[in-house]
Amino acid sequence: MIEIAPIMAVFLPLFGAFLIPIISMVSKRFHAERACNWFTVAILITTLAVVAAMGAAVWGGGIMVYKLGGWSPPWGIVLAVDGLNLLIALIVAGVSSLVAIYSLVYMRQETRLDLYCVLLLLVTAGAMGITLTGDIFNLYVFFEIMSIGSYALVAFRRKWDSVEAGIKYMIIGSFGTSLILLGIALLYGMIGSLTIADLAQKLGQVAASDVVVPLALLISGFGIKIAMVPLHAWAPDAYQAAPSSISALLAGATTTAGLYAMIRVVYMMFGAFGVGTMFAIFGLVTMVLGALMALTQRDLKRLLAYSGISQMGYVLLGVGLGTALGVQGGLFHLLNNAIFKVLLFMCAGAILYRVGTTNLDELGGLGKNMPITAGLFVIGALAISGVPPLNGFASKWTIYIAGIEAGKAVFSLIAIIMSVLTLAYFLKAINAIFLGQRPKRLQNVKEAPLTMLFPMMLLAVLCIVLGVLPSLGIDLVAPAQGALMNQSGYINAVLGGI
Amino acid sequence: MEFGPGFWGPIVATVVMLLGAGFAYLMLLGGRRLTKERPSIAKRSTYGCGEEVKPEEVIADSEQFYSPVRRVFKPFYRYVQPWHSGKLNTYLLWVVIGFIVILVAVALVLR
Repeated sequence: MIEIAPIMAVFLPLFGAFLIPIISMVSKRFHAERACNWFTVAILITTLAVVAAMGAAVWGGGIMVYKLGGWSPPWGIVLAVDGLNLLIALIVAGVSSLVAIYSLVYMRQETRLDLYCVLLLLVTAGAMGITLTGDIFNLYVFFEIMSIGSYALVAFRRKWDSVEAGIKYMIIGSFGTSLILLGIALLYGMIGSLTIADLAQKLGQVAASDVVVPLALLISGFGIKIAMVPLHAWAPDAYQAAPSSISALLAGATTTAGLYAMIRVVYMMFGAFGVGTMFAIFGLVTMVLGALMALTQRDLKRLLAYSGISQMGYVLLGVGLGTALGVQGGLFHLLNNAIFKVLLFMCAGAILYRVGTTNLDELGGLGKNMPITAGLFVIGALAISGVPPLNGFASKWTIYIAGIEAGKAVFSLIAIIMSVLTLAYFLKAINAIFLGQRPKRLQNVKEAPLTMLFPMMLLAVLCIVLGVLPSLGIDLVAPAQGALMNQSGYINAVLGGI
Repeated sequence: MEFGPGFWGPIVATVVMLLGAGFAYLMLLGGRRLTKERPSIAKRSTYGCGEEVKPEEVIADSEQFYSPVRRVFKPFYRYVQPWHSGKLNTYLLWVVIGFIVILVAVALVLR
């Protein structure tokens, strides 16, 4: 049973998406309007369980290889699961499940929820496919599935701002996926293979100057998805205009899948660890621009979007350092970013759900009305700012130390200063939303519903647990770091000595 | 966790921080007992420069909240902020410039 787990993890949400229209028709006949939502939750939790089931086989250092149709690579398509993509798959499935639970109430007032469920499952299927495939063209196809679903979800509310943001995201995102396709075409023309392991083996024999253009095309394409500066411009508009549950999904799942694709291709396929310093520098620029732009925002969701850009800078810095500790720190921060960023977007959604705005100048004193949301937001804000003893501190500290050990203390210093700025703009947000004078029109605001609070509480608990017991997080990312740096092991496992 | 010189014991640190927070809260409660925070209308109008300000109007403008920081990074905000205007052609220019920068950077690294 465990042998088919990789394909099950992709096909469960994919087939779930195709089943939704049928379930929607049947549920309307029996007046069970929310059957689609519950079905989505069930599918995504099952997907999470399937991914977790692969842990026993992979965390010990093993690599699971599933050959589609029994065709061996490099002729057939394979799914290859090692410590790295298992970690990412866990993040994607976990975030999607929590978003689906949160959406049960958050999206209740919307129409066409069956469509929302279809798109949510398609985005998850795309992200899972990107994560688990061992074929570069397959990765592109799943990238498109994830991206097209995301464009539609950003525009889901069909207001002028969400439609505009969705169109902008679609145009820029399509530009990015075109770059990826062009990069893959150049590689195929050069090597004649699409299997990542086969490409990794053969690219080692190609002159470095020949891979400059395909590598730059692929980095740019994936860079757009993770909103790496200077490819970030679409992100604040899309995050602000999308429903908060979708902002959380974009920040926690699709961005994580995009970063995975980038490091899998650059480090594992090209073996280009020399590009690491470039990543670290782009990471620094990303964290500085994100933090300085977040400092001046009036809208909470836009502030969170710039904050998300800034946090991706930390991940790029850690991974770019190229040392074992740096990669561990970067991947640990990737995990933590998915946790606290999703938590913060869900808190923003709870405020929007009860108050109807996320404009900081129209809020105030909500700590009295929404004490649980306030507490959860404070936990998320302190965690993202790297305040001990929360999870953000453990991963940021690992990155700082890795920077110093790699002889790049200036990088660590800049990262520390940006953490202070992060705390500064989150203190502004806490002050504007939960403290101070409460406008009269907000006096009767109620706490968010329990169904929305449940996933937020779970994420807040994870922020605390991974901060107080950071070794748990390190144990989770150590196999991922080992897998990323074990190119020959991956090639041997997938190609089986071909 | 050990990170070079010094040590970080997350559980010990958490306990110490919680104790510190508890102590600070007790001090706050004690302070509230000793002082009564009830300024008269005369005092309010004096410190408010003679103006009667409604409580809900006393909210700091969120964009100007860190105006000193904005002054320090004035060149950044002058040149970079207008490039986040929401205009699609500007965003596409970001992407094109980004691709060229990445292409040059990769070429320099792999030369």
